[in-house]
Amino acid sequence: MEITETTEGAKAVAILDGRLDTATAALTETRLLAMLEKGGVIADLSEVRYVSSAGLRVLLKAAKQAKALGASFAVVGLQPPVREVFEISGFDKIIPAFASRAEAASA
Amino acid sequence: MATPPFHLRLPATLESVSELLDALEAYAEVAGIPPSISARLALVAEEVTANVAMHAKGATYFELRVTPGPQAMNLMIEDDGPEYDPLARPAPDIEAALDERDVGGLGVHLVKKLTQDARYQREDGLNRLRCSLSIAA
Repeated sequence: MEITETTEGAKAVAILDGRLDTATAALTETRLLAMLEKGGVIADLSEVRYVSSAGLRVLLKAAKQAKALGASFAVVGLQPPVREVFEISGFDKIIPAFASRAEAASA
Repeated sequence: MATPPFHLRLPATLESVSELLDALEAYAEVAGIPPSISARLALVAEEVTANVAMHAKGATYFELRVTPGPQAMNLMIEDDGPEYDPLARPAPDIEAALDERDVGGLGVHLVKKLTQDARYQREDGLNRLRCSLSIAA
C-alpha cells in the first residue's frame, strides 16, 4: 500500500494505491487518522482493486473519527469489486462516496 | 483451455495471508480469471485465513485449494487449529447507523454473500470450509 497526500480545494486527499487488507490496515489507519486531525479527508480509492473486512474496519474508524472531530470523510473512485464489498456491507449507506475528488471537495 | 487448479499450504501467520493473496493474484492473471471474480476469490481467502492466523491457537498451517468447474470454482480452506466454525457467527447489523456500526462478523458476512453453499466441517481433526464461487460475473 502506498499513500500519497495531496489536496483538493480545502480538503486533504489521501491517494491509496494497493490492497486495503489485513496487512495494510494498520498503516492506512494511522495515516488517515493523522490527516483527519487537521481537517476533512477524501480517500481516493481509484487505485485500490481490493478491500477486505480489515480495510472496511479502517474506513469505518476514519468515518467515526471524522464525525467526532466535526470533519468530513468521503471516498472516491470505488472500483467495481470495491463497490460490491461496500454494498454488501451496507457501507454505501454510512460512508459518502463520490465519483471524483472535485465532487467530494464541493460536497 | 480449462482453468488450472490452485493449491497452497502456508504457515498460519499473517505474513502468509499476504503471500497467499500475492499467489492468488498471480494465479488469476495466468488463469485468465476476470478481476471481479479474482477479487471475490482473494476476499474469501483472506477473510478465512486471516481469522485462522489471528485467532486459531496452535494452528500450524492453513491451505487453500481452488478447483475450477464449468459454472463455479470450488474452494476449500483447511487449517489444523482448534475446532471452529466461522459460519456460525451471527450476521452483523448492516443497517445500523455510523455510530452503532461495528465490523465484527463482517468478514464472514462477505464470505457468505459472495459464495454459494458455504459449509463447515470438522474432519480428521481439521477445520474445513468449503464453498463455491460462481464464475459468472
